[in-house]
Amino acid sequence: MAGLELKSLRKSYGEVEVINGVDLSVTHGEFVVFVGPSGCGKSTLLRMIAGLEDISGGELWIADKLCNAVEPRDRGIAMVFQNYALYPHMTVYDNVGFGLKLAGTPKDVRDAKIRDAARILQMEHLLERKPSQLSGGQRQRVAIGRAIVRKPEVFLFDEPLSNLDAALRVDMRMELAKLHHDLGATMIYVTHDQIEAMTLADKIVVLNGGVVQQVGAPIELYQRPANLFVAGFIGSPRMNFATVTIQSLAAASLTVSSEDFEATVVPADIAGLKVGDTVTLGVRPHALATATSGALVGQVVLVERLGNETNVSLRLRSGASWLAVLDGDHQLRIGQDVPLRFEPELAAIFDGDGRARYLA
Amino acid sequence: MSFIRRHWLSAVAILASGVVFLVPFAFIVLTAFKDQKQSALLDFSWPAGNYLWSNIVEVVTTRNWMLLTAFINSSILTVASVTLLVIFAAMVGFVLQRRKTRFSGLIEFLILAGLMIPPAVVPTIWLLQGVGLFGKLHGLVLIEVAYGLPFSILLYRAFISTIPRELDEAAIIDGARPFDVFFRIILPLLWPVTVTNIVVQSVAIFNDFTNPLYYLPGNANATVQLTLYNFQSQFQTSYNLLFTNIALITIPPLLVFLFFNRQIVAGMTAGAVKG
Repeated sequence: MAGLELKSLRKSYGEVEVINGVDLSVTHGEFVVFVGPSGCGKSTLLRMIAGLEDISGGELWIADKLCNAVEPRDRGIAMVFQNYALYPHMTVYDNVGFGLKLAGTPKDVRDAKIRDAARILQMEHLLERKPSQLSGGQRQRVAIGRAIVRKPEVFLFDEPLSNLDAALRVDMRMELAKLHHDLGATMIYVTHDQIEAMTLADKIVVLNGGVVQQVGAPIELYQRPANLFVAGFIGSPRMNFATVTIQSLAAASLTVSSEDFEATVVPADIAGLKVGDTVTLGVRPHALATATSGALVGQVVLVERLGNETNVSLRLRSGASWLAVLDGDHQLRIGQDVPLRFEPELAAIFDGDGRARYLA
Repeated sequence: MSFIRRHWLSAVAILASGVVFLVPFAFIVLTAFKDQKQSALLDFSWPAGNYLWSNIVEVVTTRNWMLLTAFINSSILTVASVTLLVIFAAMVGFVLQRRKTRFSGLIEFLILAGLMIPPAVVPTIWLLQGVGLFGKLHGLVLIEVAYGLPFSILLYRAFISTIPRELDEAAIIDGARPFDVFFRIILPLLWPVTVTNIVVQSVAIFNDFTNPLYYLPGNANATVQLTLYNFQSQFQTSYNLLFTNIALITIPPLLVFLFFNRQIVAGMTAGAVKG
């Protein structure tokens, strides 16, 4: 059983801290996705797990073995790179078998394993070709084949689909999900693509500035983001935010208002908050709906009619821009004032430190 | 009319380069056909008779078949030096390009110094005598490697920078040790620039005259370029034999060049544009 345990893992280049004490535990067979904006350290973290970057502090345990100083080849990992990193001078067969050859696997065993991997990935007909004769999707397949042939404890993927075109990406995404299901291996996957993260992951790790922002199931991150960063990062289009003032407090809710909002009651954990405090109200674009009279009124700036839904960019009275995604088709004129409402249960309150205040 | 106007410059250029490159060749070949008397005129005339074969026999058998010894020596020297150069220069280039340390600057300075500072002959001989390599063929191999390294390293390093680092990393993940990464992944990918190196350095070493003259004295140690002195002296020079000799020792570099010609250009331009 190959779980993975990161204990206050650190990485610094001289003075610059890139990874700032990451704690994470991954159980066997989990599909974990690291997401975050560019430069958040997600690739660095993956490369530390792979052994391509030194660990400056903390502990890395792979399958109950402390791996801080273990060579990559002895960690029981395999990695798939963004640009595939196939050996250009070798055929697909040799590419896939390179690791086994280095490990001194007997020729017949090696041959069986290579053909087995090729069968799983449906690339038996490609084995005699060179990488330059393959398409992007086929190269990706070979790179994955090179990983699975070694029967690793943990698979590492570094943005493996970002070099593929959109249609192929969807196909490969499904194949990866199927592969994970078939192999039942632990997989760690780095991406900046939310859809990949939401669809593939058992568990998403949101990173920003080398710090873990939130760890959880995809839908949990969408419905209950732990802080402003996660709320703004997960979900597309992104969540609307407004700065509001607390008017009154009740046992499990608070009433907020601002220039843009009429007094609105939102359920929240009120511990430590008092009347007059400034908090942030977050509402997802999909949670907004038109109404005859609503909590807020926005002036239409841009309308995108997609048929099944309508994306409306709005300017609120304070000048803030919000986006609403309305179900069905709506005929709206630019410049028109639209009253909107939302279910208070779907709104989130973030306190002055940016932490979400959900009811337990 | 417009054809002439458009292409006259190209035609002139082709003619000029033909004259510059072919006339010396023609002169060598023509003189090799002449007898001693006619060749002493050193003119561009048609040979009065065909003396080529007797010239060749004389050149080859002179001084107890010295030319054969020289060909063997030069071949050993060239093959050994170029082999070592290719392996060492590729290794140095690989490490220099991939690993930045605080010594990188110093090493790069030393490489440039090796290109710019002319080698000092007397101290080198003194050093060779000290380690017992003076007048030995393997001593000269080391000299040629040392003189050739800086240029080869520069070629290799520029080329290695076009090989994505992910390839090394993929190999490391696959379980490759540093030597596996170099010999199984990097070195095969360096083939175009290796060909360039082989051609440039083997021609230079094979045609080297001064270094064998300084560091490899003695008849048994002669290299091909030194055999030219057999037919040249202060009071008498046999131009027919001299030019026959030149023609003979020009053949091996010419073959190397023809053999690798198509691949040289790839090595020279690869890295200019990332493929």
